[in-house]
Amino acid sequence: MLDSLPYELPELVTRAPFDIHRSTVLPEWVDWNGHMNVAFYVTAFDQASGAFMRNMGLGRRYVDGKLGMTFVLETHVTYDREMRQGAPMRFATQLLERDAKKLHLFHEMFHAEQGYLAATNETIVMNIDYASRRSAPWPAPVAERLEVLWQAHAALRRPVKAGRVMGLSRK
Amino acid sequence: MIDLDLGAPLDRHRATVLPDWIDWNGHMNVGFYVVAFDKATDTLCAQFGCSWEYTRDKIGMTFVLEAHVTYDQEVKEGDALRITSQILDHDAKRLHYIHAMYHADEGYLAATNELMLMNIDYATRRSAPWPDFAMERIEKLAAAHKKLPVPRQAGHLIGIKKKK
Repeated sequence: MLDSLPYELPELVTRAPFDIHRSTVLPEWVDWNGHMNVAFYVTAFDQASGAFMRNMGLGRRYVDGKLGMTFVLETHVTYDREMRQGAPMRFATQLLERDAKKLHLFHEMFHAEQGYLAATNETIVMNIDYASRRSAPWPAPVAERLEVLWQAHAALRRPVKAGRVMGLSRK
Repeated sequence: MIDLDLGAPLDRHRATVLPDWIDWNGHMNVGFYVVAFDKATDTLCAQFGCSWEYTRDKIGMTFVLEAHVTYDQEVKEGDALRITSQILDHDAKRLHYIHAMYHADEGYLAATNELMLMNIDYATRRSAPWPDFAMERIEKLAAAHKKLPVPRQAGHLIGIKKKK
């Protein structure tokens, strides 16, 4: 485990859910159905995960400094409503679980002006040692921040759309 | 419409990891796995006449309701991909299926993508039953795929396992 990180960490945002990330649907994200393509919802959510990781101290400098990386192991998306080119997005992120190496996040994507829920994304992120490219415990300062965040997020209600198993419900 | 391929799973889709698909970790980014899988969905939908021409001719569209991805092993720029598709279930309007992405040369499983797809009427942009020409073929494909074992990744509940 890394005992320290050789850069200054940003001020920790502990407000729960984490409601910082904003984005816009880019022209190249739109498909032949005239709406944001399924894959780019995942790209947009991945950027929201990036914002959450930066808050923990794992931004670009973590990778560029050859200290470590974070890999997604698994992801689950519900597509609730269409988003068109140029639509502004607001993301709210809840920490559902954590352990020594992994995070379990739940994102909600809202249309930032109209307010409706566009999609949700549940994702498992793992810390990776840069040199071995294998899983490794969070660096000590990150683990500390994670515990502070956990205290703030543990009080939130578990989202209804979390923990879904896919299937056709029979009438 | 193209000839129906009743080989199970459907094993027609091939792709290559493009330079644009690589992120700062030096491997294919999570979003572009889904780009690759979505193109495999087009290959599957072409089997029953609901791919590009279906929308171009303003007959209908297909929307994804839900998706689950497992990222099993990294792939790098230029890697050759083979994607197979297996129908798990269907009803009058929906199709439940899973793709498996393999490194085409090395053979390892790189990722899986389980999806729920819904047929959409072009004019109303609302759900609608599959057209007869599509349903006829979906039934045949589903019957052929039914003999396959259900992959362990299908119906997986996402979470961090607690050590006992």
